[in-house]
Amino acid sequence: MQMEKKRPQLSLDELHQLKWLLGGVLVLLSVWTVFYLEFDAWTLMGLATVAVSAALVRPDWPALVPAWTHRLVFPAVVAFFIGDLWVTGEVLPAVVRLDILLLLYRGVTYRQKRDDLQVIVLGLFLIVVAGVLTVSLVFAAQILVFTACALGFLLVVTLVESAEKGAARPVAGGLPAWAAHVRWRRLWARVREVTDWRVVALGAALFAGVVAVSALLFLAIPRFQLENSLFLERFASKKARSGFNETIKFGDVTDIQQDTSVAVSVDVTDRTQIPANPYWRMLVLDEYRDGTFRLSALLRRAAFTREFTDTALRGAARPVLGEPVYWTFYLESGISRYLPLLGSFEQLRFRETQNFRFGEELGLVALREEPVTMTAYRVEGQSTGGTLPDPAFAKGLRERKKSTPKSDTLLMLKLGVDAADRANLEQRVREITGGAELPAAEFARRADVWLGRHPYSLSPRIPDGPGDPLVRWMNSAEGGHCELFAGSFVLLARAAGFPARVVTGFKGGTWNAYSGNFTLRNSDAHAWCELFDRSTGAWLRADPTLGAGGTQPDGAKGEAALARRTDRSWSARFDSLRVFWYRRIVNFDQRSQVETLKAVKEATENSGRQLRAALTAMVERIKAWLAGPWDVRRAAKLLALAALLAGAGWAWRNRRSWIFGSGAGRHGAKEDPVRREAGAWLRRISDFGDLIPEALGVTEELQRLRFGAPGTWPEPEPVFQRARQAVRELRRRGRVTPA
Amino acid sequence: MADVSASKEWDVSAARSQRRRFTWNALLWAMVYPQRGQRIMPTVSGTLLIALALGIGSAAYNSANNILFITLSLLLACLILSGVLSWLNFRSVAWRLELAPPLRAGHEVVVGLGLRNRKTFLPTYGVWFDLVARAVDQGPPAVAESTITGKGLDLREMLAKAAAEEARGQLFLRERLDPWGMTRLEWRFQPARRGRLRVELAGVGSLFPFGFLRKTFSTELAEEVTVWPAPVEYRRQGVAVAPRTAGGERTTRAGSAGDLQALRRYATGDSHRLIHWKASARSRQLLVRQLAAESAEGYSLWLRTDEAIWPRPEQFELLVSFCATLAEDLFREGQLVAAAVDDEAPMPIRRVRDLELFLDRLAVVQRHNENVGGVPSPREGSMRGGGTPPTGMAGKRKNMLTFAPDGARGVAAYADGEKTATA
Repeated sequence: MQMEKKRPQLSLDELHQLKWLLGGVLVLLSVWTVFYLEFDAWTLMGLATVAVSAALVRPDWPALVPAWTHRLVFPAVVAFFIGDLWVTGEVLPAVVRLDILLLLYRGVTYRQKRDDLQVIVLGLFLIVVAGVLTVSLVFAAQILVFTACALGFLLVVTLVESAEKGAARPVAGGLPAWAAHVRWRRLWARVREVTDWRVVALGAALFAGVVAVSALLFLAIPRFQLENSLFLERFASKKARSGFNETIKFGDVTDIQQDTSVAVSVDVTDRTQIPANPYWRMLVLDEYRDGTFRLSALLRRAAFTREFTDTALRGAARPVLGEPVYWTFYLESGISRYLPLLGSFEQLRFRETQNFRFGEELGLVALREEPVTMTAYRVEGQSTGGTLPDPAFAKGLRERKKSTPKSDTLLMLKLGVDAADRANLEQRVREITGGAELPAAEFARRADVWLGRHPYSLSPRIPDGPGDPLVRWMNSAEGGHCELFAGSFVLLARAAGFPARVVTGFKGGTWNAYSGNFTLRNSDAHAWCELFDRSTGAWLRADPTLGAGGTQPDGAKGEAALARRTDRSWSARFDSLRVFWYRRIVNFDQRSQVETLKAVKEATENSGRQLRAALTAMVERIKAWLAGPWDVRRAAKLLALAALLAGAGWAWRNRRSWIFGSGAGRHGAKEDPVRREAGAWLRRISDFGDLIPEALGVTEELQRLRFGAPGTWPEPEPVFQRARQAVRELRRRGRVTPA
Repeated sequence: MADVSASKEWDVSAARSQRRRFTWNALLWAMVYPQRGQRIMPTVSGTLLIALALGIGSAAYNSANNILFITLSLLLACLILSGVLSWLNFRSVAWRLELAPPLRAGHEVVVGLGLRNRKTFLPTYGVWFDLVARAVDQGPPAVAESTITGKGLDLREMLAKAAAEEARGQLFLRERLDPWGMTRLEWRFQPARRGRLRVELAGVGSLFPFGFLRKTFSTELAEEVTVWPAPVEYRRQGVAVAPRTAGGERTTRAGSAGDLQALRRYATGDSHRLIHWKASARSRQLLVRQLAAESAEGYSLWLRTDEAIWPRPEQFELLVSFCATLAEDLFREGQLVAAAVDDEAPMPIRRVRDLELFLDRLAVVQRHNENVGGVPSPREGSMRGGGTPPTGMAGKRKNMLTFAPDGARGVAAYADGEKTATA
């Protein structure tokens, strides 16, 4: 085959090397999903990374492995998988580890075409599983990079296949010729040498097109709600990273506060409804025993309903007049199985079917299991006040004498300390109340002040000694964190005869100025108290932690309150991406599809309307300007405009040579006299219509001079001479008809 | 000899040739329904991709999981990208067949496929070309027959025969075809028989870019060429030449030496030394000198194709090959004057072109059952190729070569009734 070359081409060996490189990169990209998949596959991932990287650096090493070992691979992998399944009993993690193992093997052995396809399928499986399980924004970045690499890889595979067609196939086994002496730096130089920036630019544009088309397809694919969720989640389990469990030891919440990652993102349809000092309740702890607050079994049984499997839940709050306010929560995985809420609500709707229990009086919703993926739910008509009405508890309190000693109502009055500590606590209460019987709110205020003598500290020291640790801390002047403040407050309140409990959740948060949502980080984790106000029959929020101010009535709302919490940092920018991902991608459903279509329609109509209005206004302005009195200045302006338009037209006509001319202007036709003359001769020859065979040869040479890279040019002068002769011959033939 | 015979124009790929007025309907329809002659089949990786897309799609609908919908959208978008890149790859690629006569039966033939990429900056990769060479049927027109009544065995035989009579080849564009670049692929094969041969570019296909789809489409590019009879070995048995007239006899036969006979237009293949520059300059066109040959001795060939004389087809094929070989040998020795087939007008053989015309005629000559030149007598005719030569050769009976069967398989050439060579 005789090929007229403009640019050098990669040889078959170099294509093989490129294929090997891209295959290795795909394997590495795939196995690195373990970083955010959070399955126990770190060892395998590390092994795969090291082995595949080594095989990439030295592609001749896989040839050192004896051939017989390859025969043992399949039974070994099967045995590994069965053993893994047997030991762990978890299907999905075992499948993921099997996938990584297969990728590792494919990454360190010479691959045929079917093996290349296997790499792509295995890698895609791993990434999709990770995406489904984590719903992480990392998935979006990873799938895009993986797709780009996989497409490049498939392209090279096709080129290798086409270059090998009809040629003798290399003997299987042993060291392939391409792997013998690989020098990546040289290959990189070669790739740069053969690459045309225009082709690369087109490739990048096409890939951007792929992303755009897939986005459109994602929006346009018809959705049917089959109401069948829990797809892969049922094959995997996850433990909560945080300490929002039924039992809380002192220091648990503080540990969470060290973590600044996002825990919850909240969208709200009416931002003026966001309280200035929001408390996001997750869990109520009523029982104090052995220096630990916990959710008692009694309260769990009494306050929570049986388990539901549904997508919606009706709450205790009654509908109010006016536009309903929707709060959409995106709860990250690993936080808790208890959902953060501001208070009672009218309705709560999950994006997918969930198994859950509802504690209506407690204002809590508990999922059956710790969600392994981001959980989205929307709350309508949510109460944002600092009180939680609980008529059932009020009734139980009135009838407490009739109730059993082990009732949950009495448990919230139980101190859980010995007699000495009880006496100590009563003494402290007398100090606070002055011996008077105070209303709940007033007691809370005074207790807050009394506890204010303790400074705030994230590393508190509880004095040694006998008795309850909380009482010891209360009696000291040591600094403390929210749990100590809240626990002490509860004990004081109970000693004073007020039913009280510790509440854990989040306090505060930041308003993301870029995405317009509320962001709660793990560092916003907090513990506070609720004490029961007999006069109103409601639980009153009290936050005794120093500087929290949570015992004060929470009335401030709106833009002014948000302004203090607005976050414009770089992390907020990144978080806005995450929220966009949740809002527009993860949480996209049939309703969103209809809303998007409506929005697109409205945007199109509005744009058309605005454009028409702008054009009309512009025409009117031009008319008015033309109708005005003329002077030299105006004429000069008009002439300048005409010159500008003429220049733009000229630039448009010559855009081809600028854009497509070899070297983007450096060797443009206008600058180069050889190209210009070749173009002139081509025009002359084309005037004769159909080319005669004699002129064809010179035409090709002229085209090469006109459009080709200078390195591939023939000697210009002889070509122009032949072109001259060809034109002469064509003219003569026009007069003398051949026999 | 003639130059390389190439298609007059470059044939262009379907992507370019089927360009028509743009409508959205046409575009959408073209996306879902292949155009005429196009065939799109999924490869193993394509089948895998489709199966993967179906699996992910079912899982996505089953779980309403948007991550799976994203993956499904990306897979579908990749399929669309594959189609766009494939279209760009084929776009503005032109090709033409380049055949280099003479083609001889049993000899290797080189069929060139010229390729040209007329794209501005995009190269073309990984295209293959299916070439077919099949004999153009010279027999009576085929009668329409129903395949319902045909036996399977007959059909298989027919198909096998048709397959045996055609040669197929595949050419691969292994390297990149640069923008504005040209290349030539070559296909070598051996035509089995003399006659008219149709070389077609039956299809163009590619797996580019990702190997998901095997996209092929047919083309109408074809060239018909003549395949001359295969040369045969023969044995000379002493040529009986008519005596030379005293002093030599000048004839009007053109030759390479002797006096100027005439001027004529330059034709391809003429020696540049024969160009008459002055006359050319005066007439503003190339003129060459035509010279008279000095020698007078030479042979005339007369080939008779009666089925009565040549009842066996293989013997007839040997006859045609023998005749062609003899004609070429005699011409090379400057001893061939004229040649005739049956009662056709004798062709004077003065130049290479005349000989080529005669060989072209031999390439397609067939037996016929009409008796031409009278039935030869058993003693002279059938054995010595006698009979009445056509008009124009009758007066020059001397040194006329005729042919007759030599035994059951052989063929003998007779010069004025005397056996001179056998094959």
